Amino acid sequence: MKTLTIQVTVNGEAFCKTVGVNMTLLEFLREELHLTGTKLGCNEGECGACTVLVDGKPVNSCLMLAVEADGAEIFTVEGLAKDGTLHPLQEAFIEAGAVQCGFCTPGMLMSAKALLDKYPKPTAQQIRKELEGNICRCTGYDRIVKAIILASEMNKEG
Amino acid sequence: MDLKVVGKPVARKDAIEKVTGQTKFGADIDLPGQLYGAVCRSTYPHATIKNVNTEMALKLPGVRAVITGKDYTKLYGQFIEDQPVIAFDKVRYQGEPVALVAAEDLLTAQEAARLIEIEYEPLPVVNSIDEALTNETLLHEDWSKYNIPGACHPVQNTNIGDTFTLRKGDIEQGFKESDLVVENKFSCSMLQHTTIETHTATAYVNQITGEITVYTPAQSPFTIRPVLAKAFNVPLEKIRIICTAIGGGFGSKYEVRAEPLAIALALFTNGRPVKLQFSREEEFMASVARAPAQIHLKTGVKKDGTLVAQQVKIYWDTGAYVTTGPRVNYNAGFAACGPYKIPHAWVDGYCLVTNKSLGTAYRGFGVPEVACAHEFQMDCIAKELGLDPLELRLKNVLEEGDISVTGEVMQSIAVKECLEEAAKNIGWYDKPLNWTTQDGKLAGKGIACFCKLTGTPSTTSTVLKLNENGSLTIQYSGREMGQGVTTVIPQMAAEALGISLDKIHMAPVDTAYSPYDKTTTSSRSTFHGGNAVLMAAEQIKEQLLDLAAKYFQVSPSQMEYVDGVIRCKGEPTKAIHIEDIEASGILKEQPPVIGNGTYSTLNLYYKPDPLTRQSKRPTVMWMFGAQAAITEVDPATGCIKLKTIGAAHDVGYAINPVGCLQQIEGPIIMGLGHALLEEMIYENGILRNGNMVDYKVPTFQDSDVEMKITLVEKQHPEGPFGAKGIGEPGICPVAAAIVNSVNAACEANLNSIPIKPEHVLFRKED
Ligand code: FES
Ligand code: FES
Repeated sequence: MKTLTIQVTVNGEAFCKTVGVNMTLLEFLREELHLTGTKLGCNEGECGACTVLVDGKPVNSCLMLAVEADGAEIFTVEGLAKDGTLHPLQEAFIEAGAVQCGFCTPGMLMSAKALLDKYPKPTAQQIRKELEGNICRCTGYDRIVKAIILASEMNKEG
Repeated sequence: MDLKVVGKPVARKDAIEKVTGQTKFGADIDLPGQLYGAVCRSTYPHATIKNVNTEMALKLPGVRAVITGKDYTKLYGQFIEDQPVIAFDKVRYQGEPVALVAAEDLLTAQEAARLIEIEYEPLPVVNSIDEALTNETLLHEDWSKYNIPGACHPVQNTNIGDTFTLRKGDIEQGFKESDLVVENKFSCSMLQHTTIETHTATAYVNQITGEITVYTPAQSPFTIRPVLAKAFNVPLEKIRIICTAIGGGFGSKYEVRAEPLAIALALFTNGRPVKLQFSREEEFMASVARAPAQIHLKTGVKKDGTLVAQQVKIYWDTGAYVTTGPRVNYNAGFAACGPYKIPHAWVDGYCLVTNKSLGTAYRGFGVPEVACAHEFQMDCIAKELGLDPLELRLKNVLEEGDISVTGEVMQSIAVKECLEEAAKNIGWYDKPLNWTTQDGKLAGKGIACFCKLTGTPSTTSTVLKLNENGSLTIQYSGREMGQGVTTVIPQMAAEALGISLDKIHMAPVDTAYSPYDKTTTSSRSTFHGGNAVLMAAEQIKEQLLDLAAKYFQVSPSQMEYVDGVIRCKGEPTKAIHIEDIEASGILKEQPPVIGNGTYSTLNLYYKPDPLTRQSKRPTVMWMFGAQAAITEVDPATGCIKLKTIGAAHDVGYAINPVGCLQQIEGPIIMGLGHALLEEMIYENGILRNGNMVDYKVPTFQDSDVEMKITLVEKQHPEGPFGAKGIGEPGICPVAAAIVNSVNAACEANLNSIPIKPEHVLFRKED
């Protein structure tokens, strides 16, 4: 098996690792770095559970190879809370009741983070459109939409 | 009663772990020395296995074990032991395990599974209920050879794996007395639960003692423990199930699926753990599904709309093995006539085996399907008689003191209120049945109600351990799968003991030390777990009162426990708050304070007659609710858009009102998928759409539905604080209400789900 050495920053920490050329970014995060917060739901780019930010853009990490992330800055759910304080999105998800089984939650949060970086004050329609690739089977989505709007209001205040 | 913690909306106790990505789900378990499992699955839906050649797979470097059905020929099943762990003589569905591989890494295991050569001799395929009913090809030639540990009634020399009957009154006489007899049929597609977490298990076996340990996101560890013990021929206590968090259940993780495969491999790996995770493709093809259903109804009614007689025949396509089919058949059979007064009722249910994936538990256990049918029928009757659909229902619904089709005198029943509230929530009374919107869409309204029982009798237990500082640890095996049980159970304990909610913690669930709970299904956890917790809390109080009495040197009868204060009656200085218990010193070197709660519904139950199902009390808890829908159909494209759902569910008493709402909102969108989107498409036993591109579940875009929900609180006399279950009710009337609203909008009689644009367009050209 061909391998390559890659350098990535994950949640602010630098890593240099030799990986198989066919390893996905999702496998790299979960198996090499033991960051299991990012979830495998379908491995075919259809559920969004594996969403992480690569250089600020939301990516289905099951569809990206680890070697393609060489040199990139990666951000996962484990990087959201800082110094013992939850990120506004995390707080808003709890407050709005947007979490049930929680399996879609890490991917939802990362997609929502990318959305808020792009549109600091999104409308419900924008949220529904931008997050369409993230599937949730528990909540019916409404509370997730409300949570993201709530987080956007917290942002403004902060 | 002045309640402080229950009845208030509280944030979930498991939320922080979940939003920070720390919750450990099935696949997040990694054990030292772990191998990876892969499954070689049948490419044929029905075939004799002539030969399995594992030579090439075994030669692949990194492969540690390859096993076939010959290595392990025991059959298993909760109701009937008809299913092999690994197929050995024949395969009965596409995707059935034929051989298993364990290897050092996943890619090697998958590669080895591909290298296994299997010679099949194809057999004729039974693809549908109709084909199964001909009995030309039998999937199971001899039912009598199987052990039947549960309530399951197969019919020899047929494809019928289970039968159900209900008889009340004289059905023929009832039809004779009717002014109008309406006959219809309704069918529901096959569904996959599509939990975002697939089935996963990690198992290891002690080669000397034979002890088996398995990590799994199981919904019902104590239900699967005896099944696994029998399947692997070890005593019960040698199976240890360590529960991981569940990434969505909805019934799919009730059945054993990945567990027996991981265990079978682990028997051959010298003690090394084996981790096995289903791919999404495997999840669709070979985990579990909701059985397709065909329901026939014949209803006799008076001119004024009074129901006189109803005959229902239900056919379930339970797939290749019977699994939980009998329980679906039973629960749906009891609910098949709806929450109505009907003097003459007759229900027959049949589970048919076919060469498809396994139709088993899915949120609602058959009730959403029968609700679609009886509520479609009600609308047809209303149309024939020129009555308002709501009026027809209100005329016939069961009320306090009415007698159900199973002969029970109904008590604390609020289905009428639910119907009225649901109707109000969509403005039913101000709208015609259908209308055209300003932008030319065809709009319609529809309403539906249901009844569902909880499995009875059943038992549960809890252990409450008071820690030295007055915090509390609860051991209870009801599984958190998103429904919020690990929040409502602590709420009830907090209320009973006056301990603040953040000082109460749920212990992990592990059959090695967790107390018995029958299952996390049937919407039973709040009711059963809550009762057990309240019993255990009483024991804690008693022990604390004794200890405090000793400390204050008074008799225990002088002591009382009020809102977390342990005090001497009439002596305000002799009082200790539970949260100051450590400082008080009363626990020092005393026997630890532990409360047990063991709850059973056996004495609240009368076993229904096996033929007629008549019983004074067939279930400890009936659940009722209603939903109304407004839908718009674009006559040009056929595009169907659910606009509004008005829901009203009788929750008895809302322990956590937000949790109750979540348990209704989620199912509304799930039910939208059932009504308008989802179906597993099989052709001659081959699944044609086993992926998330071709099998569509609702997305953010599909789900922009206005939801207005009322929680009706008709307290249940035996419920904890009057509470009832709400895990399944939310899903029961959704699809039925949507179907009725689409039919109203299009002035159609579409009688199968999902309803797709082509169905309504086809109607138009008609
Ligand atoms: S796991 Fe990557 S999109 Fe589903
Ligand atoms: S919370 Fe369960 S899938 Fe979204």
